[in-house]
This record gives sequence, C-alpha cells and structure tokens, in this order.
Amino acid sequence: MLNEPEIIPMDFLEKIASSFYNNLIAGDAYLVVMKGMLTTVMLSLLALLFGTILGAVFCGTRLSGRKFLEVPVRIITTMLLGSPVTLLLMLLYYVVFANSRTDALIIAILAFTLHTGAHVSEIMRSALGVLSRREWEASRMLGFSELAAFRHITLPQAWKIAKPVYQNTIVNLIQWTSVVGYVTITDLTRTLNNVGSRTGDPFFALFFGILIYMGLSWMVHGLFSIRGKRGVA
Amino acid sequence: MIRIDNLTKCFGPAKILNGIHASINKGECIAIIGPSGAGKSVFLRSMALLEKPDSGTILINGKDITAKDTDINKVREKMGLVAQGFNLFSHLNVMNNITLAPIQVRKQTKAQAEAHAMELLALVGLEEKAYAMPSELSGGQQQRIAIARCLAMDPDIILFDEPTSALDPVMTREVLSIIRKLSGRGITLVIVTHEMDFARETADRVFYLDEGTVYEEGKPADLFKNPVREKTRAFVKTLETLRFTITSKSYDLVAMNARIDWFCRLHGLDSRHNYRIQLAVEELIQEIFLHCFNAINPDLDLTVEHFSVNNEIVLIFKYRWELFNPFDQQAGHQDNLGMTLVTGMARSFDFEYSDGINKLIIKL
Ligand SMILES: Nc1ncnc2c1ncn2[C@@H]1O[C@H](COP(=O)(O)OP(=O)(O)OP(=O)(O)O)[C@@H](O)[C@H]1O
Ligand SMILES: [Mg+2]
Repeated sequence: MLNEPEIIPMDFLEKIASSFYNNLIAGDAYLVVMKGMLTTVMLSLLALLFGTILGAVFCGTRLSGRKFLEVPVRIITTMLLGSPVTLLLMLLYYVVFANSRTDALIIAILAFTLHTGAHVSEIMRSALGVLSRREWEASRMLGFSELAAFRHITLPQAWKIAKPVYQNTIVNLIQWTSVVGYVTITDLTRTLNNVGSRTGDPFFALFFGILIYMGLSWMVHGLFSIRGKRGVA
Repeated sequence: MIRIDNLTKCFGPAKILNGIHASINKGECIAIIGPSGAGKSVFLRSMALLEKPDSGTILINGKDITAKDTDINKVREKMGLVAQGFNLFSHLNVMNNITLAPIQVRKQTKAQAEAHAMELLALVGLEEKAYAMPSELSGGQQQRIAIARCLAMDPDIILFDEPTSALDPVMTREVLSIIRKLSGRGITLVIVTHEMDFARETADRVFYLDEGTVYEEGKPADLFKNPVREKTRAFVKTLETLRFTITSKSYDLVAMNARIDWFCRLHGLDSRHNYRIQLAVEELIQEIFLHCFNAINPDLDLTVEHFSVNNEIVLIFKYRWELFNPFDQQAGHQDNLGMTLVTGMARSFDFEYSDGINKLIIKL
C-alpha cells in the first residue's frame, strides 16, 4: 500500500509506451510515416527549386523596365502574395485541372512553386534594392563585365541580405505543404492523421508530427548556418 | 595619350557638356576645377564611359573608346576611378577588396595578388588594416584603400572625382599626399578637386571647366595668377578672398558661416581656424552694430583672405560711419567676453580711418 504513489507513474509510462507502439510501430506504421515525410520533403524541395527559379524570373522581369512584361508579373505576384496557398491549390485541383488526369502531386508542386516564386521574387527585389549602385560602378571600373560584377559583387551581398528571409520562406513552405491532404496527397500530416484515426489516439501521432516538422525546420536552419560559416572562412 | 574631341552630353534639355576638347599626355597630372554643377563629374564619368556621351570622340592611345566595337571592360582594366564616396565592396575585407579584380579579371594567382596588395598597402600606409572590414575604417583610410584597389590593376590612367571632399582636413592631407606620390610615376592622373593648393602644387596643368567646355587651361602658375578669360578670373578671385556685403542688421549669419566653412575647406584650414574666423566675424559685426548704424541700415564690407605662405588669415572690415575702433581701449568695453576672445586670438590689428570710412584689419 505504501507503494501506491509509484503505481500511477508506472501506469502512465506504460500508457505512453503502448501508445507509442500502437501509433508508430504496430503494422509498420513508422514506414508509412516515413513515406509521408518523404512526400512532404520532396514536395517542398521541388517547389523550392522551381519556385526560386520562377522567383528569379519574376524578379528579372520586374526589374527589366519593360512595362508590358512588368505589369502582368506585378499583378500575378500581388495576387499570389495576397491569397492563402490553400485556395490556390484547391483552385488548381478542383477547377483548372479538374478534368485532366494530372497527378495531384504535380498540381501541388505547381501551386507551391507559384506561391514560393512570388515570395522569392519579393525577397530578391528587396535585397537587390538595398545594393549600392556605386559599388557596382566601382567593380565595372575595375574591368569586371556585367556578369562578373553580378557574380562577385551583387550576388554575395544580396545573398547576405536575403538569407534569413529565404530561410524563413523555406520553413514556411514546409509547413504550408501540410494542407495538401485536401487534394488527396498522403503527405506527413495526412499520414499522421490517418494513424491517429486508426488507433483512436490522435494526440500521440499529432504530437509526434509536430516534432518531425520542428526537426525539418531545424535542419533547414542547420544547413544555412553551415553554408554561412563556410562563406566566411 | 588621351585626346578628347567635341565631347557633348545632355540630360534631357540640359546641355551639360557642350563640346569638350582636351588632350592629356602620358604621365601628366591634370587638375580639373570649376564651379559646382559645371559638369566636372559628368566629364570624368564620360571619360570612363559611365555616362554615354551624345557625341564626340575619346581617343586613348589613338583608339576611340566610344566606338561600338570597343571592349569597354578591357579599357577599364587600364583606367581606374576613385570617387568621392570611396565605394569599397562592403562585404569584403580590405585584402579581398584589393585582390578581387586582379584575381578575377587579370587571372593572377591569389599569392601573386596578395603580395602586390601588401606592397600597395605599404604605399598607402595601411598594412596593419589588411584584414579589416571597410566599415571599421575612417573615411580617409577607406579612400586610401580605394586608391590601392585601383592601383592593383596597374592602371595607365586614374580618374579622381573629388577624392577628398568627404574628408576632414587631416584625412584630406593623408589622401592628397598619396596622390602626390603617384604623380611622376608614369600614371596619368586626372583629378577633379576643390583643393586649390593641391592643384597649384601638384598638377602639371589645370583645366577650368565652365559653360560645358574646357573654358581655360594652363599651367597652374599661369591659370591661378594670370587667368585670361573673364569667368576664370572671377572664379580665381573667389578662391583668393571671401567677400561679404552686409546691408541689413538681420543678415544671414548661417549662410555666411557656411561660406566660411567652404572657404576653409578650399584653403585646407582646419576646424580651429574655421571656428576662429566665424567667431571673430560674428563678434566684430555685433560690436560694430552696437555702436554704429543705430537707426539706419548698415553699410559694411567684409573680406577674408588666406595667405598660405605663413598660414595667415586676414579679415578686413570696412564700414562708413564716424570713427569707431572696436579694439580701442578708450571706448571702454574690454569687459565684453566675445571681444576679449577675439583680442586674445588675433595676431595683430590695424585700424585706419579716412574719408569717413573705418577700416579694421585683423590677422589671425
Ligand atoms: N544622371 C544625371 N541625370 C540628370 N542630370 C544630371 C545627371 N548627372 C549630372 N546631372 C546634372 O549635370 C550637371 C553637372 O553635374 P556634375 O555633377 O558634373 O557637376 P560638378 O561640376 O561635378 O559639380 P560639383 O562640384 O558639385 O561636384 C548638374 O546640373 C547635374 O544636375
Ligand atoms: Mg562633381
């Protein structure tokens, strides 16, 4: 009877252990979770890659000084920046590609590419706006071609300014991809949700999901700080 | 070596360069002077093709660099520009600022470029700053690094656009002494400057820019002593003496002090001299107003002159009134603090009175 206070924690730990087992081990659930995570990571990576390229194109057109290119791009980016990516995704899935047999994943990549592209374009524009025209001229006067001046002067400086914002954009992108469950993609969030409803104990699965998303964010920050340190050395 | 013919440049309706003709020999040091807004910077920037001339030719070693088939990057490898704002690459330390172009453009090895950079840092006296960031340097140091960065490309020509006008007198001297070292080393130097003493002592020839042309050119001794054309004369006169006519007791003291600042810069006078001139002028005007022109508008002339031989500043006050000498002990205002200060810092005073005009000469 004196041991009674100890029984409760034992019970609690056992509960956690069995919850862990039921949610993540039983029926190879961890494999399913891993697969969902892979989908999330892949979707994020591709959207980031294409989005960055698209952002550079958007930014380039906006700075080109050609009105007939600049105005449409400005309208598009403003719309993309001003609306939730979930709506864009649903619009593409349920309206634009409704009658085509395009894979949902491709549609999602497209939606997030557009979304990221708009953000990256803004990041690039503000980073380039801060740069000094005089330093540009100084480099040209040392015999740098436009391309070389861009590479050695503009890019490193713009990168320094853009880096923290870009990093946040990536983290946000990863988190925003959690809505793709709406369009039948089994990403990390969807997987965890499934697991939760299968076991009738969603708390553990969802809590675990939060940890995974946090882990991904930390990885992003970690990668950036490695690159940063190398840049200085 | 450089030959410029009929160079013109407009900004909208404003014709800034209106047919510039000039020829500059190899290794010469040219000072370009002229009033503000005369187009000195535009001229220099046109020579570097940072501004595209509307018409005219710029021949360098017989080759027209305004021609379509010129590789401007190649031209600029041999032509440096040092601007008023230093413009060091803010993300790179001093060493990388200097070696970036030699390594990337001239394809030197890192070791080669760094060895050369250390020599140049020694030349500009900043070896110990080799690994500092630009933001950690004073303006004068940044400008000396900018010169070293330019020299790292072994240029044949260096253009300077007011290299010292953002600097205080001490830093100005540092930078000018570096530029002086460069003259006579075979590098052609073209310097837009407001430092007339520098132009007088260092330049081989001076171009006076006005009306969008090289209005007058000559050896510094001739151009400064015996300018031929009217505008040059007027300009040279404003360099020698600063002149005010005060016809109201509510004269613009701020504007006057600003002109005294400008005058001091022009003559390389430090802030102590500047302060003394401003103090003496203000105190004496106040003192004169206190005793003269009681009910009527004043009629007072003031000139400030600087003699670089003995670094003497001479203030001359002329005012039409009954005899009044502010320094006269008999007048009994030695208890006036301002006047006591002025008396203390003056080297000498002189006072004359003739034809109803008081003339007070103070040497500082
Ligand atoms: N990019 C430009 N666009 C329009 N006008 C310009 C431009 N650059 C210069 N100007 C005009 O050309 C004129 C000459 O300018 P510039 O800078 O060459 O004068 P400056 O002789 O160098 O004067 P300062 O001694 O003040 O430097 C000025 O009236 C200026 O407003
Ligand atoms: Mg200028």
